[in-house]
Amino acid sequence: MAIVPKKVKLDAGGDTLAIEWQDGHVSVYGYESLRDSCPCATCTGAEGGTPRKQAKAISDALPMFKKAARPLRAEIAGRYALQIFWSDGHSSGIYGFSYLRDLCACDECRAAKMKKAGDLKS
Amino acid sequence: MKISPHDVLAALKTVKESGQERDIISLGMVKDLETGDSRASFTLLMDDPSSPASERLAQAARAAVESLGVKEVSVQTAQRQKMMMGSMARSSDLIPEVKAAIAVASGKGGVGKSTLAVNLAVALNLSGAATGLMDTDVYGPSVPHLMGSRTGPVVVGGKIEPPTAYGIKMISMGYFLPPNEAVIWRGPMLHKAIRQFLGDVRWGALDYLVIDLPPGTGDIQLSLSQTIPLTGAVIVSTPQDVALTVAAKAIAMFEKLNVPILGVVENMSYYACPHCGQREDIFGHGGARAAAEKMHFPFLGEVPLDTKIRAASDQGRPIALDSESACGKAFEEIAAAVAAQVELAQKQAGQDIQIE
Repeated sequence: MAIVPKKVKLDAGGDTLAIEWQDGHVSVYGYESLRDSCPCATCTGAEGGTPRKQAKAISDALPMFKKAARPLRAEIAGRYALQIFWSDGHSSGIYGFSYLRDLCACDECRAAKMKKAGDLKS
Repeated sequence: MKISPHDVLAALKTVKESGQERDIISLGMVKDLETGDSRASFTLLMDDPSSPASERLAQAARAAVESLGVKEVSVQTAQRQKMMMGSMARSSDLIPEVKAAIAVASGKGGVGKSTLAVNLAVALNLSGAATGLMDTDVYGPSVPHLMGSRTGPVVVGGKIEPPTAYGIKMISMGYFLPPNEAVIWRGPMLHKAIRQFLGDVRWGALDYLVIDLPPGTGDIQLSLSQTIPLTGAVIVSTPQDVALTVAAKAIAMFEKLNVPILGVVENMSYYACPHCGQREDIFGHGGARAAAEKMHFPFLGEVPLDTKIRAASDQGRPIALDSESACGKAFEEIAAAVAAQVELAQKQAGQDIQIE
């Protein structure tokens, strides 16, 4: 069974986006980290530029206040992904449902991920 | 000095909010532009017009216009409306009246995707269902030839009116290219073409839209799967291992994209000699059925390697029109199996995802 959301809440309060999945799990994502996790070719550096996360690490060293981008709206892409239209004009990231579920940083998912990594090591 | 709105827009296009990738014009922040003799006025739409950042932006916009030599620049600021929050714009809106979109795919080329797509569409249409046929193989569009369709689409009221053959509405890149021209495009162009084929063609109400794909797992497959929620995919393969292993890659792609596999069709399944009647399994036989069973997908049927199919295809009169012939019957059975799987897939599709 594929992992599919039931409900996407763009404004879940405190600059977060929340997804309620069809299996009942709830994931909450901070706007900033979700924007930084954009899987598009530009943001991941696949086009040859500096990956967004790396560029961020440099700009974060110079802490000038910059308001985080927020999602203005979102569309379902086909049957497998969410396309988010950010307030900074960026919209080329197609966030696959399984990718989003993988990004979930709740205690339960984090523990499951650590366990998996541990299993691989042993 | 008379100021043209064009110059003012060009000047404003150089202005960006700090931290933004795009300029204020392309973000739609400038409204109500008016120009006159040495003067210009406009409104800037902003999230928080009273913030220092917004004031700086208004100053920057004013400076950009003043640099044109405009003496009197009036900049108003206003609160930007929250955009479409809560609305759920679904990409499926591109073809709202199409009940089922079926992709016909393979891994390897030359296994008879287009032949199957065309005959599947004809057989579905003969069963009484309103059917359309979309040829997304922009590199080697063969659907117009197979359907004997020579007259291209016409544009009526800003929309493409698709030509019809044997009662089936069709679109193909073949209509837009001189015969000896080639499409040499990168992904973004292909993406645009796919969107146009869906959104700008007047498909009307259809029970089935059969979509012929190019071979492989590339840009077109991905664009299509992102642009509309496909009801499912039919995988075509010849029986030999080399075709089946590549077909498995097409299946893996659709599973990643959450597109249901409606089933597998075995083409060029066997050859029956028209002289002595002896059957020869040129590419082996039953390989696709075995592969489908192994992966737990429905096996939708087999089509023999038959000169009549080739001849009918070259004449532009699909063999499925001849529902009395053995080959016609084979396609009729495949169409019935596909229709049954489509119904099942629609039932299992689950509810729409809410966005708020």
